[in-house]
Amino acid sequence: MNNRIKELRARENLTQLDLAKLVEVRRETIVFLEKGKYNPSLRLAYDISKIFKSKIEDVFIFGKEL
Amino acid sequence: MKKSKKIMLVIVFSTMGFVLGFIILKNGTDLFQGLNIVIFALIIIGGIIAFFNANKKEQQEKDGLPTDDELSTRMKYKTGYYAYMASMYMWLIIFVAKGMFPNVETMLGGGILISCLIWAISKYIVKLKFDE
Repeated sequence: MNNRIKELRARENLTQLDLAKLVEVRRETIVFLEKGKYNPSLRLAYDISKIFKSKIEDVFIFGKEL
Repeated sequence: MKKSKKIMLVIVFSTMGFVLGFIILKNGTDLFQGLNIVIFALIIIGGIIAFFNANKKEQQEKDGLPTDDELSTRMKYKTGYYAYMASMYMWLIIFVAKGMFPNVETMLGGGILISCLIWAISKYIVKLKFDE
């Protein structure tokens, strides 16, 4: 699963630490998510999408290359 | 360095020094030969890893971040699984090569410490290779 977290984070002018604080996870988790090495739980995916005011499917792309 | 950290370090090193001094007084310097030196090295490595982990967690708390989350929990499970499997083989090797050890206490103590080391290595590998 790919995602657009890095792109959206840059657009919102947020650092990895800022996003980590907002969704209450460790910064390392954001690093792993951005690298596509970890698929988040539905809860975390929802929280992240909410921060970017987007739908889950706009942030996380299932089975497609970006 | 914070005052509380300095106090903690002084207490830790004083206790270590006292215990080491007591052991030398009881057993002489024979203890610092062969396998014993490996065991002491493992204890010190374990202590250093624990110290750095505690520091990292303290920093995370200061930054207002949680020390555990869903990814760290997954990593813990995976690390536990690998460490458990590797430790099984390690104990098998230890029992096969039990003639190498001077006594049962050294064998068991060494085995437990190697298990800790295996856990630390597993954690490092899981962090490095985590991709799911």
